Amino acid sequence: MAGRGRGRRMMSFSVDAVGINRGDTLPPTIQQPTPAYPAMENKPLPLAAGEEAEYMLALKQEFRGAMRSLPCFIQPAAPHRDVERYSDKYHSSEPTDSLITWTPDWRSLPRELRVARLPRRDGVSVSRSVPSGQIRQVKEKEEILLKLESLEQKEQQGSSEEEEGEEKKKQEEEEAEGEEEYDEEEFGEETDYIMSYFDNGEEFGGDSDENMDEAVY
Amino acid sequence: MYGARGADVGGMTLQEVRLCGLLLREHFGEVVEKVGKHLLRSGALNLRTIINETGLPLDLVKKCLCVLVQHGACVFSSGRKGPGSPTEYLTSCNRILRILRYPRYIYTAKTLYGDTGELIIEELLQRGHMTMSSTVKTVADRLTQNMEEGRSMEYSEVSSAFSNLVETHFLQRCPPQPGAGGKDKTTAAPTDNPATPAAPAKTTPQTAESFPDCYKVPHMTLSGRGKRQLSTEEGEDQRNAKKPRLDTATHGDEGIYWQVNYERFHLHFRDQAIISAVANKLDQTSSEIVRTMLRMSEVTTSPTAHCTKPLSSNEIFRSLPSSYNIARPILDQYLTLLVDDPMEFVGKAGESGGGMYVVNLHRALANLARATLESVVQERFGSRSARIFRLLLRKRHLEQKQVEDFAMIPAKEAKDMLYTLLSENLVQLQEIPKTPDYAPSRTFYLYTVNQLPTARMLLQNCHKTVANLIERRLFETKESKRLLEKSQRIEAILASLQASGAEPEQLQEVEEMITAPEKQQLDSLKLHINKLDSAENQVDETIFLLESYITGTASST
Repeated sequence: MAGRGRGRRMMSFSVDAVGINRGDTLPPTIQQPTPAYPAMENKPLPLAAGEEAEYMLALKQEFRGAMRSLPCFIQPAAPHRDVERYSDKYHSSEPTDSLITWTPDWRSLPRELRVARLPRRDGVSVSRSVPSGQIRQVKEKEEILLKLESLEQKEQQGSSEEEEGEEKKKQEEEEAEGEEEYDEEEFGEETDYIMSYFDNGEEFGGDSDENMDEAVY
Repeated sequence: MYGARGADVGGMTLQEVRLCGLLLREHFGEVVEKVGKHLLRSGALNLRTIINETGLPLDLVKKCLCVLVQHGACVFSSGRKGPGSPTEYLTSCNRILRILRYPRYIYTAKTLYGDTGELIIEELLQRGHMTMSSTVKTVADRLTQNMEEGRSMEYSEVSSAFSNLVETHFLQRCPPQPGAGGKDKTTAAPTDNPATPAAPAKTTPQTAESFPDCYKVPHMTLSGRGKRQLSTEEGEDQRNAKKPRLDTATHGDEGIYWQVNYERFHLHFRDQAIISAVANKLDQTSSEIVRTMLRMSEVTTSPTAHCTKPLSSNEIFRSLPSSYNIARPILDQYLTLLVDDPMEFVGKAGESGGGMYVVNLHRALANLARATLESVVQERFGSRSARIFRLLLRKRHLEQKQVEDFAMIPAKEAKDMLYTLLSENLVQLQEIPKTPDYAPSRTFYLYTVNQLPTARMLLQNCHKTVANLIERRLFETKESKRLLEKSQRIEAILASLQASGAEPEQLQEVEEMITAPEKQQLDSLKLHINKLDSAENQVDETIFLLESYITGTASST
């Protein structure tokens, strides 16, 4: 810039042209950033009121609320808690079925985005993706079918494992009740005792009414 | 709409990206926000890069991209390096910023096509795009829900409202995307624009209007009435209404998706702005004349035209609404007044047919933008600063002394005001040297205002304003989160008690679970949130005006 001060009081532009006269007090130099919320000399006008504005406000708020319940609203994956908390049962109140029912028209989306079953809203995914590529055109279908079958089996196991994890307590109760109907194998109760050896005494005395020939000990 | 890719990425301001992120968060969740913001900042990316750079799991990213594409916020095209390279995804700020305007679109549809039109537009905005048959069924169900017991809405009525919206171009078919699934990537080539051998293959996304069938209503076999949901539980009721139809009945229009045509709504808003400006500046009759002229020109004027096709005074006279019984010479007088008005809404294009008149669309928009800028200066800095600002807009370049004289403001105060405006960048200083060495004592310093860059700056301020409003609203909601949850639980309890027929004492007991100070806090919270939301709507009106002016001017220069 021209006129970089030779003396102390030289400024880089001609004072006369911009209108500062000799002897005028200049505004104080700024020493720090301007305040974040400066006092306003002129208050803003009030918001537009009226039927139209109110209706549009209602539309806006309803729209926002509606979007939250649609499948396109994606919640981040729930953080893993180290300990299961009592309040978890009451927190997840939103329905998850609406997402599963949304399948976009895959014809209008690129192949690589294809997901066989869109994951649940909480980000826990049990999906599988169909591999794309022009390389495997010949064997593609067969390979995919095989892969699908194996993934399906894995998926069923995977989803059933998850369900167990969530409703563990309930299931254990059910298991205890229905134990007699289950296979009397070791898996039923995770104990070391083989169920078939256990005689719970229900059959004892069941025949006594019918067969009077034998002596009762 | 997309222009050169470079301009899109470079042309997005920080504030735009921030605002888009918040809008995505509110309507699609934080995960979509993360992916969307990343795409906005980085330009076109392929799937693998997005996954690596955002650190999100593969399936979540895929889901986000599906959502973004479904709602038209993201387009995909085959890679730049020629066929075989991975698909690239590109997001644009403009489309996401439209979310701010959704209430206005829905309200406009209501004024033009009643409740049916309102719900059709609302459903399509919520879902991104849908087939005509599913839209009709969903809307019929929703309308039936609100009707009296025993009455229901005919599908055919909703279909005809849908057709009307298509006829007037408020709805359009989604353009088929090249490179979509179901087609081999190599066959996407015919729809790509051929590029020069040296440049990498560029694919410009097809606009909906480049397809001839864009506004053709498909033949549908759909008959029936809307179904009322049996209300078993309140929550279930709402969920069922929102669930898309699961029935597999086909109606002959599969694969034909419809979306809202924002540009058509924008033309309508532009016309509305011009008409109301005429009504405010002149009078009701003048605005009716302009309204008639715009209505006559709807189909003959292209969206980017500077002005409407010339209309003769005779034609206008014949087309005036019958409720306006003005004599022919009076009409001519009104037209002359409109032409002479400094706002230049109407121009004279010839003398045949009793006088040929046009509506100056771009000029009107520029003047409306100018009025907006002047109003901003007036409300922030006072009417005298506004006088200086208006002066500089009209006179282009003025020296310090000339400003003082023309504005009739004493020197000291004029100086202060000019410096304040200068520090806010609403006014610029231009140097005109008298001598080649740019010596300060021999240079003219002129104050000047440039309307277009100033409008851009104000537009950016508007984006920042709306982003601040949203953040404040989120903050207020978060602060009172526990109280809000408590109040929601109590409302749910009250509702279920009422449904099962409880005593008034019981209801009162439950109501009293919220203490008086808590109730006060809730009321004040509701007031704040309503104010913030309302302010967002209002700022969007300014955004619309400035945007229309900027795009209109940019395309003509």
